[in-house]
Amino acid sequence: MATRLSLIQKIIAYGSLAALALFILFPVYFMAITSLKTVRDIYRLPSLLPVNPTLINYEQLIGTWKFLDAIRNSLIVASATTLVSVFISALAAYSLVRLRYKFRNWAGRLIMFSYLTPSSLLFIPLAVIVAQLGISNTHQGLIFVYLTFSAPLSTWLLMGYFRGIPVDYDEQAMVDGCTRLGAFFRVVLPLSVPGLIACSVFTFTGAWNELLLSLIFITDPALRTVPVAVSYLITGDTVRMGLIMAASIVSALPIMILYFIAQRFVVQGLGAGGVKA
Amino acid sequence: MKPTPCKRPESKEWGKAKNVNVTVVMINQNETVAKVSAAIEAGNMPDAFDLGRDFMLQLAKNARIEPVDDLYKTIGDAHGGWLDSTNKGSNPKDFGGKLYGIPFGQSGNLLNRRDDVLSKAGYKDAPKTWAELLEQAKKANAPPKLFSMGFALSNVGDANVQNEVLRGYGGRIADDAGKKCTIDSPETREYMKWVTDAFAAGLFPPGATTWDGAGDNNAYQSGQAVFIANPGSVYLNILKADPELAKGSKYSALPGGPKLRTAPTGLNFRAISASSKVKDLAKDLLAFMSDDKYLSDYYGKAIYGPVLKNGMNAPIFKESVLHAGLLDLALNGTPANFPDTDNLALAEYNTNFLTPKMVQKVVVDKKSVEDAIKETQAACQAIYDKYK
Amino acid sequence: MAQSTSSRSLAGLKAPRFSLGKTDAALGMGLVAPVLICLMTLVVYPFIFAVYISFTDRTVGAQVVNFVGFDNFRYIFGTQGFQESVRNTLVMVFVLQSMKLVLGLGIASVLNQAIRGRTVFRGLTLLPWAMPAFVAYLLWKYMFDPTQAGAFNMILIDVFGTQLDFLSSRELAMPSVIIASFWRGFPFWVISFLAAMQNISPELYEAAAIDGASAWKRFRHITLPSIQHVILVVTLLSTIWTTNSFENVWLMTGGGPSNATMTFPVLAYYGLQTLRLGEASAVSVSMLPIFAILAFVVVNLLLKED
Repeated sequence: MATRLSLIQKIIAYGSLAALALFILFPVYFMAITSLKTVRDIYRLPSLLPVNPTLINYEQLIGTWKFLDAIRNSLIVASATTLVSVFISALAAYSLVRLRYKFRNWAGRLIMFSYLTPSSLLFIPLAVIVAQLGISNTHQGLIFVYLTFSAPLSTWLLMGYFRGIPVDYDEQAMVDGCTRLGAFFRVVLPLSVPGLIACSVFTFTGAWNELLLSLIFITDPALRTVPVAVSYLITGDTVRMGLIMAASIVSALPIMILYFIAQRFVVQGLGAGGVKA
Repeated sequence: MKPTPCKRPESKEWGKAKNVNVTVVMINQNETVAKVSAAIEAGNMPDAFDLGRDFMLQLAKNARIEPVDDLYKTIGDAHGGWLDSTNKGSNPKDFGGKLYGIPFGQSGNLLNRRDDVLSKAGYKDAPKTWAELLEQAKKANAPPKLFSMGFALSNVGDANVQNEVLRGYGGRIADDAGKKCTIDSPETREYMKWVTDAFAAGLFPPGATTWDGAGDNNAYQSGQAVFIANPGSVYLNILKADPELAKGSKYSALPGGPKLRTAPTGLNFRAISASSKVKDLAKDLLAFMSDDKYLSDYYGKAIYGPVLKNGMNAPIFKESVLHAGLLDLALNGTPANFPDTDNLALAEYNTNFLTPKMVQKVVVDKKSVEDAIKETQAACQAIYDKYK
Repeated sequence: MAQSTSSRSLAGLKAPRFSLGKTDAALGMGLVAPVLICLMTLVVYPFIFAVYISFTDRTVGAQVVNFVGFDNFRYIFGTQGFQESVRNTLVMVFVLQSMKLVLGLGIASVLNQAIRGRTVFRGLTLLPWAMPAFVAYLLWKYMFDPTQAGAFNMILIDVFGTQLDFLSSRELAMPSVIIASFWRGFPFWVISFLAAMQNISPELYEAAAIDGASAWKRFRHITLPSIQHVILVVTLLSTIWTTNSFENVWLMTGGGPSNATMTFPVLAYYGLQTLRLGEASAVSVSMLPIFAILAFVVVNLLLKED
């Protein structure tokens, strides 16, 4: 935090923040008013203000399109991905940061490289593997596949966080009679709660928003996740703009609430990942 | 483009009767290729599924679907015979000697026009040629609120309607053998003159060069286009959403050129996976789904013309203007891509949207027509060479 | 858990050693194993497979697959779409990253000041990032609509009586895609920079203020050097994401008009539509060298000990 601002600096600061707010909020506002319009009004009566506002899109979304099922599916998939991914990543991150062994650098590199591989390159071979494991068209399959991007990111973020915790803490715990694993679970992990939260938020968001893999691996309509359900609102050549905007708002809401609650940890988590790396 | 349900829920009835558990899945046409590719590679294909002709060509080549020549004959005999157009589009020769799918519906584009607008401009009748259409379009054009030519020029399937204009002017993508590209021709230059003139006159709505599959529909439904080519989804949409627009709209066959008039009808097929363990059951299902009563109900809910002679009796073809048009198309239409040889190379030419891209080179990149034609000829030949 | 028990007795006797213990090695490998096994199955194997098929004529469902050497690459390199996609990808990444860097630093600096409503603005900044990417791009496509249905043209037509082809003219298509991608992508930069700036000791600034250093000088000589490592990591990481981004171009322009916005991932997706897996893989594989370099730098930075 810096020194006090002069009047001119204040004017510049607030002016640029106002511009920023407009830039961020205008699209969101446009989305909101569109979600309250009928198809006909969207095209025939273009306006930046609400015209004949109606909740029909939301009613259809939840009634006809059973969108709440998709929300439930996404909650299941994203939560499970987060739990599995954060748990195994925490183990890996601790191992990479604190323990010394032969293949450590090699393992670290491999995890990082995995994160940087384009998923468009991977999806056909992935389909083969998922089919061979007998988990295609299941949530389990999707959760497993999501580890491709969630595990490396979580590992990286947590490595940053664990590095920020002095080794003395582990040593002291072990002097006091903890095992190595005990020191990790009882001392390091509790100290890393903000990092774990940040990491969970990122993983959850990534899984919640993922479209391409879900589109390909989930066929059963009852299992569709939110992005797929939204993409199915565009059938061939009819774009139901009002419905899509309503669906966008409904699907973005859980994540926005999550971010609003966890923003302090998100900032800290990112800071730790970047700064301490 | 239109939504193609992969299998219809009604097949559950058959499942009940046969005591078989049928799982029905609808997938978006836009994702069919990615999804089916993944499923084929993974070896977990559905037992039976819907597909278009191009995709059937590819799968037949790799023997991933089951030949159904006998079933085709049985079903035809039981339902008054197949329509001529169906027989033409299902010629086993095109697929390497055997037929790999049972046709169930024909689709094609009709010209939708704003009769209310055109009548005021003095045009009561539908344009019979592309030149007439251009003339009417120039009169009716009223930017920035109303643009006449709601035809896509972008990288989407809809934009391949431009191939029909090209053929109307006598142009051809490739020779009869389907080996050598013939884009570089005087006829192509005539077509290019038609389309670039129209563009220069400001007849195309803004955005036509990047529209997605819904672009033309949106333009028409928002009352901003006079002409569009559409398989019928717009008609069904505005019937409910905008009765006023529906009343002012009329439908006719696509116009022709000085050399040729095509009315392409695309056949849609149902195929059985070669990997299916229940092929006989699957065949039985396809037979059930070709039943008169079943198809009659089906056509009432879908946007297809019939494939079987008995299918023409479905009440919907009398009740709805649109469906009457589709019936007409099924009876009098020309096979997809006629008179070009419909092979894999042409399919790749079309998925790469080389004709609309040729137009884009001129209207977007401001290249000369000559350069655009030369570049397209080269790109086309490079594709055809891969299939030699 | 025998290993852990022995390490406890060791710890109880004398000061613990943290390197090269046999038990540590076993435990270390054990802990990293779950992630490694997953990634070997889900990334490494598919990756090798994809590289392999890029040298074959494999099509979807093909029974016979032939090795064709560099044929796929030769064909792709010769197409106009490929050549343009190389240029477009570079332009998009360079412009977008420069904007995110400069504006990201600027916004983070403002948010780092003692101003009212900081928390609100911080939450606000996260908004575009919290929105699913495909939702964001559908929204922007709709806002860029060339007719009066689009938000921007609604205003342009009302106020100036003219409209702009945001997504369908060669001049505007790429800038429009870039603006939308910026909207969705900049929050990550701002938040990362802000987090790093908050770790800078306030005393440094106070000392500088006493010396009479201007705001710019303080930024140049205190802020920048303190967060340079974060800047580097964020830039590289985001560069890889941006180069890989598919939804922005695919949803807004489909690579058009006339390849004006064609990028690598979109081209690869088109390749897949023709079911020629070998060719489609070759598109993705041909961008791997650039990735490998970027990835190598990132990995070494991230794994560097402090």
